[in-house]
Amino acid sequence: MIEEMELAPKESEYDLYFGPAHPGSGNFGVKLKVDGEIVVSARADPGYLHRGFEKLMEYRTPIQNAVLSDRLCVLEPLNWNLIHAEAVDELLGIEVPERAKYIRVIMAELSRIQSHIIWYGVFSKGTGFDTGFKMAFGYRDYILDLFELITGGRVYPAGYICPGGVRRDFPNNAKAKILKVLDKMNEMIKLEELENPAMNARAKNVGVLKLKDAISLGATGPVLRGSGMNTDVRKEEPYEVYDRLDFEVPIRKEGDAYARYWIGVEEMKQSIKIVKQALNELPGGEVIDSSLKKPKLSLKIPEGEVYVRNEIARGEAAIYMVSNGNINPYRVKVRGPDFLHMIPVLEYLLKGAQIADVPAVYWSLNICPADMDR
Amino acid sequence: MAKKEIGLIDELKNKFKVKPKIQGERRIWLSIDSDRLIEICKWFKESGFVHLSSISVTDWLEKGDYELTYHLWSYDAKKLITIKTMVSRNKPTIESVTSIWAENAQIHERELHELFGVKFKGNKDLNPLFLENWQGPAPFRKDFDWRNYVRDKFYNKENERQRVYYD
Repeated sequence: MIEEMELAPKESEYDLYFGPAHPGSGNFGVKLKVDGEIVVSARADPGYLHRGFEKLMEYRTPIQNAVLSDRLCVLEPLNWNLIHAEAVDELLGIEVPERAKYIRVIMAELSRIQSHIIWYGVFSKGTGFDTGFKMAFGYRDYILDLFELITGGRVYPAGYICPGGVRRDFPNNAKAKILKVLDKMNEMIKLEELENPAMNARAKNVGVLKLKDAISLGATGPVLRGSGMNTDVRKEEPYEVYDRLDFEVPIRKEGDAYARYWIGVEEMKQSIKIVKQALNELPGGEVIDSSLKKPKLSLKIPEGEVYVRNEIARGEAAIYMVSNGNINPYRVKVRGPDFLHMIPVLEYLLKGAQIADVPAVYWSLNICPADMDR
Repeated sequence: MAKKEIGLIDELKNKFKVKPKIQGERRIWLSIDSDRLIEICKWFKESGFVHLSSISVTDWLEKGDYELTYHLWSYDAKKLITIKTMVSRNKPTIESVTSIWAENAQIHERELHELFGVKFKGNKDLNPLFLENWQGPAPFRKDFDWRNYVRDKFYNKENERQRVYYD
């Protein structure tokens, strides 16, 4: 990459900055070296959202970290809540109550649907289909209403999924409301599936990622599945109750932006299926382990280390937590899927692309700078 | 599947004379000497561990060591193996695994070089990643206290308003 950046300058060559203040790029920049209309090389410029979560967590207890883990990704805080809670549960050796497991799955899947809707919205905006953006954010609000009802927060649940289970039980009307919202989501999927010539023209055969390259670049989740790999952490290493639920893993072989977009739409359907099953099977009982019912700030984490992997909307997310027996974890490493998607994969895909295709490639990766910078 | 999994661990024991620790169904932890890292990583890559999930450093301040952990996932065996190795905290240098996991390893190593100051021999691009114009010590080291650093560097005592935060 470095050698390519130092090519002898030609008269038609110039630098182009995509982001960090681009309306659609998030807090993240890409420095493009462009020759005429073609991108010669791209260099990611991260760091605008670096808050040092891994270090912050070393100074805080798991109860505080549960709230902090919301902020790891703006677009799917519940999923990061879940990973953090699972890591602490495993270190404490707590068996989470059955009802809490189901609630965790329902919340994680609703969060995934919501995140995929944003993906559709920003991808539409990036490719010049502004109606799609407005539609998406309108429909997303139905799910945010649910989050407000259940967790108390629209975007950030403030550690709703916490070590030991979940903080509060569903209110009485939650089930009926969730089912109603799922109907609305089906409406949204129908709109997404409409044949859209603009989307076809902008996304098909753009940003093609071959399976071999995808693996060596470290791609996971929808990006890897869009290149033809049958992989999903929920299937390979079932956590919570995913092994009891029936769902499929959508795969596409083309590896282009359109294939990845299509995976997003299909995954929403599967998530709806999962939520419906989980709601049907939802058992009664407690929602949090009795030892953690009252949050204990002086809770000591037993010595040990765990590596917890989850499938979030963007791919494989993981937390590596080491404890030396104190109240704070000794080391927390956060592995965000976008760390790989936004640096090596993006740099690779943009090389040789047209300038006009940059947003399509960029947004087809379903990216979020927050969990990359951390 | 079961046979294949047992084979993997046995082969590992016979070939490298190591003692892997098994945790649950899908986790294997393995401690090795840092000079055998490349040899063992190569073997794992060839055995199907094509996905490098992440690389991490744990700073054991009292022992004076950095512990590097390589988390590898195999899509076939559906297991996660963690290779752990120690390097000295004062002169943290280790062979880069970019020859094995290419760009994936490259970017993880670049991050750790910035945050912990580990030198990866053979990694061509260890430029700063997140921090811009950072002059201080590697910020994720255990002996780096960011609160003191910020107070020393940014506290303007003549500004009364800042006392609220710093005193």
